[in-house]
Amino acid sequence: MLFLFRYRFLQIIREYSVMFWALAFPLILGTLFYFSFGSAGLSATGESEWDMIKVSVLENIDPGDAPDENEYFDNAEAFSEFLHALDGDTLEIVPADSEADALLALNEGDITGIYYAKEAPSLTVGKNGLNESILTSILDSYNQNAAMMKDIAMNHPESLLTAMEALGDYKQMTQDKALGGDTLDPNVQYFFALIAYACLSGAFLGVRASFDSQANLTALGARRSVTPTHKLTLVLIDMLVLAVIHFLDIMILTVYIAKVLGISLGNNIPALLLVNLMGSVIGVALGLAFGSLTKMSLNIKMGLTVLVTLLPGFLAGLMFGNMKNIIEQHLPIVNRINPAAVLSDAYYCMGVYNDMERFQRCILILAFMSILLLCTAFLGVRRERYDSI
Amino acid sequence: MIHMENLVKRYGSVVALDHLSLDIEEGEVFGLLGPNGSGKTTAIGCLLALLKYDKGTITVLGKEMRPDSYDLKKDIGVVMQNVAVFEQMSVLENIDYFCGLYVKDKTRRKELVEEAIRFTGLEDYRKARPKKLSGGLLRRLNIACGIVHKPRLIILDEPTVAVDPQSRNKILEGILELNRQGSTIIYTSHYMEEVEQICSRIAIIDHGRVLATGTTEELKNMIKTGETITIEAVAIEERLIAELCTLPHVFDVTYEEQVLKIRLSSAKHNLVRILNFLTERDISFGRVFSELPTLNDVFLEITGKELRD
Repeated sequence: MLFLFRYRFLQIIREYSVMFWALAFPLILGTLFYFSFGSAGLSATGESEWDMIKVSVLENIDPGDAPDENEYFDNAEAFSEFLHALDGDTLEIVPADSEADALLALNEGDITGIYYAKEAPSLTVGKNGLNESILTSILDSYNQNAAMMKDIAMNHPESLLTAMEALGDYKQMTQDKALGGDTLDPNVQYFFALIAYACLSGAFLGVRASFDSQANLTALGARRSVTPTHKLTLVLIDMLVLAVIHFLDIMILTVYIAKVLGISLGNNIPALLLVNLMGSVIGVALGLAFGSLTKMSLNIKMGLTVLVTLLPGFLAGLMFGNMKNIIEQHLPIVNRINPAAVLSDAYYCMGVYNDMERFQRCILILAFMSILLLCTAFLGVRRERYDSI
Repeated sequence: MIHMENLVKRYGSVVALDHLSLDIEEGEVFGLLGPNGSGKTTAIGCLLALLKYDKGTITVLGKEMRPDSYDLKKDIGVVMQNVAVFEQMSVLENIDYFCGLYVKDKTRRKELVEEAIRFTGLEDYRKARPKKLSGGLLRRLNIACGIVHKPRLIILDEPTVAVDPQSRNKILEGILELNRQGSTIIYTSHYMEEVEQICSRIAIIDHGRVLATGTTEELKNMIKTGETITIEAVAIEERLIAELCTLPHVFDVTYEEQVLKIRLSSAKHNLVRILNFLTERDISFGRVFSELPTLNDVFLEITGKELRD
């Protein structure tokens, strides 16, 4: 059977236009992703970029009947300085001439909140949300730390300096770290979805190859159908050849993303190879099954293959990053049976979560689906007599 | 060797095979002759278990032919009407690939491939890709891929369509050689000359029905026409044509574009009698041909239309 493998391999890799597009399209798409995300691409994709939160800070507020005016202004000034220290980092302070102007800006959504710099600092927000919660946390954090410092100053003045240094060291005590210790790049999910899509685009190779087994579609299909070589052998050889070729394509894409574009896909190379292999297998199997089962013309099949590959890619978050999460919330079963979503999840488990149990589950699901699709492809051409040839 | 009985195949409301029955014996070169759309390729498709059919039975070598009759398929070689080779592989690679689908032994395969290349005269084109080949060479490659494993039964479905005369002759000679080497041949064509040249037995089919079966001579003997005389003559009047029809053995006379065509049943001195008739009436005439009946005459007499209509 080795020579059948060899000839089928030669035949397929010599289809230069098919090979070119199978490889070039994901590379081009990856490059476009890279340049899009280099600027403000993320916000356009619906992903939550870490934008600064726009706020207004109202200062010099009339102390009214405050018992100690000096303490009032000291506290207000301290809070104001604290907020200005965050300006350009977490916050973007939008100047406001008066409270009325600030409230107007808040109502129109130009700012997320208004901080009142006074003896007991306060915050006004327009609605509930993540940014509003962050603003509240900042205020709470300030109040807690201020109270703690006041307490230390009153009861343990000798420790005040140490306490301030300890507070200053807070940031050094924490470090951003992915659960898997691999990557934190928020863009990486797009590249995982892209590799998952590229894996599924092996369906084009599968559909194309399935024509050569169907007597009603091509003369070659008719010729191969009248030979004594078992249909299952022909389907398996097609599967094997295409999976090898497609795996090489996916590896080239992976290396390009990791080494040329510099996107970290994690450090677990064996797991990466395994998921790339399973992705190649399921893409090709999907194409073989779709091509063998459906009784349509060549052009209609090729057209529908675009849908068969793009729709799972879309549902897995290729075009809209949150799509997979939305589906997970409302219809999680789709994420379990969508090969692109399972693939993307496997990449994530490997590269971000380092959750090998879930990774194994993904691989098993992919293997099961591949076998199912391969059986479908075989059943599609097994004892087929056609209405017309 | 092959038994087809009461085969019915419909494409929607169109009846492609209408209770078609055939028996083909081992060692024959059996011709399926009929115009385009007569049902030849459909019959072959059903025989090879590629096509569903509505009714009837087909047995090959005494066994029912099914899509998974792999043991029977070993003994069958098929040359499709459309060229079925891989564009991306060379002549040698194509022949070797298709041989490999039948023959697993590498040494044997190599011998068979070389033999098929020699047989089809493709020695100088081993490394050429199909798109570099002329139409005739491509057809030869198509044949080589179908016969390389030396099958007992070879089915050739219009293998000479769009082939130059030189290649056609080579192909026909090759088919006869395959038959001499022991293969039974089923040859479909709408070229009566080819069928007449190589087939030992012929079935004439039209509208999915077998109209007649037999050797060339048997088929010709089935019809009234024993001789067709063609005469170039000017100004033949209707009255004269009517008179010609009354002559002994004459049963059909046509006059078109100054060509008089007279069909006669088989008899001695037909030509002399006709020429005397014209001379006696001072009818000047040019070239005169006398032809024995052809398969076209058979087809014409049975169906009322020319084979190539």
